[in-house]
Amino acid sequence: MKCRYACGSPEHALHRRKFLGALAGVTGLGTVGFFTRPAVAKQLQKKQKHMLVIYLAGGVSQLETWDPKPGTDTGGPFRAIPTSVPGVHICELLPHTAKQMHRMALVRSLNTKNNDHGMGHYQMTHGRNRGGLNVPHVGALVNRMLHPKESPLPGFIHVGRGGDIKDAGYLGPQYGSLGLPSGGPPAGIARPKGLSLEADMRRHKFLRGVNNHFLAQRRSAETEAYTYSYEQALRLMEQRHVFEVDREPEKLREAYGSHPFGRHCLLARRLIEHGVTYVQVNHTNYDTHHENFNFHIEQLGEFDRTFATLLEDLASRGLLEHTLVVVMSEFGRTPRINERLGRDHWGRSWSIALAGCGIQHGAVIGKTNKNGTAVAEREVDHGHLFHTYLQALGIDSTGNVDVNGRELPVADPAREPIEELLA
Amino acid sequence: MAALQKIRLFFPLLALAVISPPAEADEPLHRQIDRMIQARLPSAPAPLADDAQFLRRVYLDLTGRIPTPQEARAFLADGSPEKRLRLIDQLLASPEFPWRMAHVLDDWLMERRTAPGVSRTQWLEYLRRTVEQNRPLHLLLAELLQADDHTPQEATAFLLARNAEPHAVTRDVGRTIFGVDLQCAQCHDHPDIDDYNQDLYYGLFAFYTRTSLFTEPKSKRKLLAEKAQGEASYTSVFDSSIKKERVDPQPPGGKPLPDPKLAKEQLYLVAPAKGVRPVPRYSRRARLAQVVRQGTNRYLARNVANRLWAMMMGRGLVHPVDYFHSDNPPSHPELLERLADYLIQTRYNLRGFLRQLALSHTYQRSSLPPKTLPAEMLAPELFAVAQLKPLRAEQLAWSVMEATGISTATREAVRSQLLRDPKMRDIFQLDARRAALLEQMVQHQLARRMEGNVRAFVREFAPPVGELQDQFHATAAQALFMNNGNLLRSWLAPRSNNLTGRLLKIKDTNKLAEELYLSVLTRPPDESERQAVAQYLKGRDKDRPAAVQEMAWALLCSVEFRFNH
Repeated sequence: MKCRYACGSPEHALHRRKFLGALAGVTGLGTVGFFTRPAVAKQLQKKQKHMLVIYLAGGVSQLETWDPKPGTDTGGPFRAIPTSVPGVHICELLPHTAKQMHRMALVRSLNTKNNDHGMGHYQMTHGRNRGGLNVPHVGALVNRMLHPKESPLPGFIHVGRGGDIKDAGYLGPQYGSLGLPSGGPPAGIARPKGLSLEADMRRHKFLRGVNNHFLAQRRSAETEAYTYSYEQALRLMEQRHVFEVDREPEKLREAYGSHPFGRHCLLARRLIEHGVTYVQVNHTNYDTHHENFNFHIEQLGEFDRTFATLLEDLASRGLLEHTLVVVMSEFGRTPRINERLGRDHWGRSWSIALAGCGIQHGAVIGKTNKNGTAVAEREVDHGHLFHTYLQALGIDSTGNVDVNGRELPVADPAREPIEELLA
Repeated sequence: MAALQKIRLFFPLLALAVISPPAEADEPLHRQIDRMIQARLPSAPAPLADDAQFLRRVYLDLTGRIPTPQEARAFLADGSPEKRLRLIDQLLASPEFPWRMAHVLDDWLMERRTAPGVSRTQWLEYLRRTVEQNRPLHLLLAELLQADDHTPQEATAFLLARNAEPHAVTRDVGRTIFGVDLQCAQCHDHPDIDDYNQDLYYGLFAFYTRTSLFTEPKSKRKLLAEKAQGEASYTSVFDSSIKKERVDPQPPGGKPLPDPKLAKEQLYLVAPAKGVRPVPRYSRRARLAQVVRQGTNRYLARNVANRLWAMMMGRGLVHPVDYFHSDNPPSHPELLERLADYLIQTRYNLRGFLRQLALSHTYQRSSLPPKTLPAEMLAPELFAVAQLKPLRAEQLAWSVMEATGISTATREAVRSQLLRDPKMRDIFQLDARRAALLEQMVQHQLARRMEGNVRAFVREFAPPVGELQDQFHATAAQALFMNNGNLLRSWLAPRSNNLTGRLLKIKDTNKLAEELYLSVLTRPPDESERQAVAQYLKGRDKDRPAAVQEMAWALLCSVEFRFNH
């Protein structure tokens, strides 16, 4: 939205300028970054909430994870095991995760009425069915609502596949995601060969002079945003180390696992630790139309240990109390086992798991029937979940967001949060 | 008739238009614009922009790029009092104008969407030709709404890009053709906006409820089908007693247009059957197109006027441009009506209309407010000071290529290739028409060769597909692209025929500063800037090429370059 001239008035803009002023004082940028001032960093972290989504792409089976039905026609070969929460059982493929249940909650009564991958991904990350309005991804919304303007890092990052400025929908690209497809530093962050840090700083100094000359009487929200984007880029370049997982102790890297998913989860923790507001990590592929059970042994074997390590690590650093963790897929899998020992797409009765801040630890919401073919109690869908995520992060999910002067509801007005899941 | 009574007067303020002084018969539109803008100003506005500012602005708006240093020098040295008028006419007649307008129209109508079956190149070429041939704009819009066997294939792009889904089409026809965003009125009367009710929504929806996407069985080509039956109906989601079984088609601001009575066996020219595209005898889609073709619908005329005004002035008289309703009145209602009248009287002549806007003092104001200007005069809806307009992705790409000398070098290469054969040279020199043809061919070739470069900028700088394209977003990723990207870096590496190569041949720092500022910022440097350049070069004799590249880079990344000011 266009802003009036000389609009220094909005508070955040003033803050930003003060901040930039402070930054200019220590030019060279290569020397002092924001988070090297520990007092401020701590204060920021204390206030800031984060969201971490572990996306099990392809559709993980609810029966081999959060809602086992051993001994029924649909149950498959695996047993259910007790967890750290008395009375709550999950599938035996998740022994490490079972020990983390006191930090987690389950929703077992999800009916999203959809069996399509694309739509399922959209539903679960946008909180609505795809329709006319270009609604933002939950990461973009959380980025807009929670990410501190002063942060040197972006607010919304996809580790592994994914990442697109278009995630932001009508909020606009500055809230969209940055993709780290290789699990390392973002593209374009490296200074080109032949351009030294010194030369880069020199030309930026010249650029600031040119800008000040022009802006003396023509400053607006748009010009501020533009000059700020260059400062942001410089600070991002300085933060390269945040993206380097190899800086972690070897023992911890081993605990996370040396496979991509392990490294990606460790990177996710580093990102959250350094102030990124929303991180999404993908684990593929759970689309087990064939050999569902073998695949789940293999995939969940990787997932289980890494995920439990991640929760433990977040908790031990005091990050879990500010971070909402959600394990989701686009849908679950058919209770019926097909002739190829597979399970197909199933959106009618499936589960997700949550952990961390804002939720009732140990809670189990809803129930499916005996063999898991239908929701028996407390049916909810992606719309309810979306409200719940936002509430858990301290955002009023029934409120509006201002988009170019238009007030648009942040979540589906026809849904509400799952109150009994919230802390 | 009840529906008729429900139509509310869109602008209660319009009554004012009647009592405002009538325009003198021969007063040109640009004077009327200035008079009506002036009438609302509490004190004197910013002075006119200087020549350099005007030059850059009008090039960017009408050709989509900054001028070359040669073009800039020629204009700045010209002492004629008529030179602005002459430049406007020259640019409107340039081969670049239709290219620029194709993107303006695409931003407006398609918001960069792609349609199945019509490539982006085909679509943009169709728009470009429309402008080149000076076809009335409303006829183009009518063609897009009709999109049947009587209109060019490219015209189907508008509806196909929305998958011919009636709700998506209704929303976008409302927004892009009539200037009203009726999204909320799909499910209930708009809670906050009285004008946006379900009758208005479903009146428009009724034109498209019979249209659907049709895939030709053999070729798999996507086409538009239409049935002869099917009615629009609605129930409010808030109050189920509010409903209507049948809503006749009705354009915003128009009368209901019930179908003619046809016997059942007369309904179709091609009857529906499996794998057959039905063609009705009476097409509701064509009926709406007919309304638009008449051109007199006020919503249509106001919307076109407002969109073009916003393109030139940086802000609509109604803002945002797709949000016409009585609680969001135009800043200058009488002016908007006057512009709409003018469009209708001149048959939506794009060049003629833009010419008047460009000639107005309102357009030609400085973007630099005088220090004495009271703060309230800075409100953008007063148009007392020129707005800063962020360059669209294509404008930015073409301007960077112009500033770095890449476009000029390519233009010259193309031209010399075309003229290599002396016979060809003679032919192109035969008459003015053929000389113009040469320029057109050069422009075509240039556009083709630079397509990849432009796409790289579009990827980084364009707003999301399907959203209003006049939004401005600045991201760290864009800055990284400028800071570390190969494209800009390679353009700044000194070559015999590019900017930095040229600069390195200049020994005198003062002259170097002049060439640098004129090439990139289209103006001479002032004293402090000359000094800054001299300072920057001091002690850099050994790595002068690097120093020159650094300065050129900084100017290209500056706010002054990023915005049309």
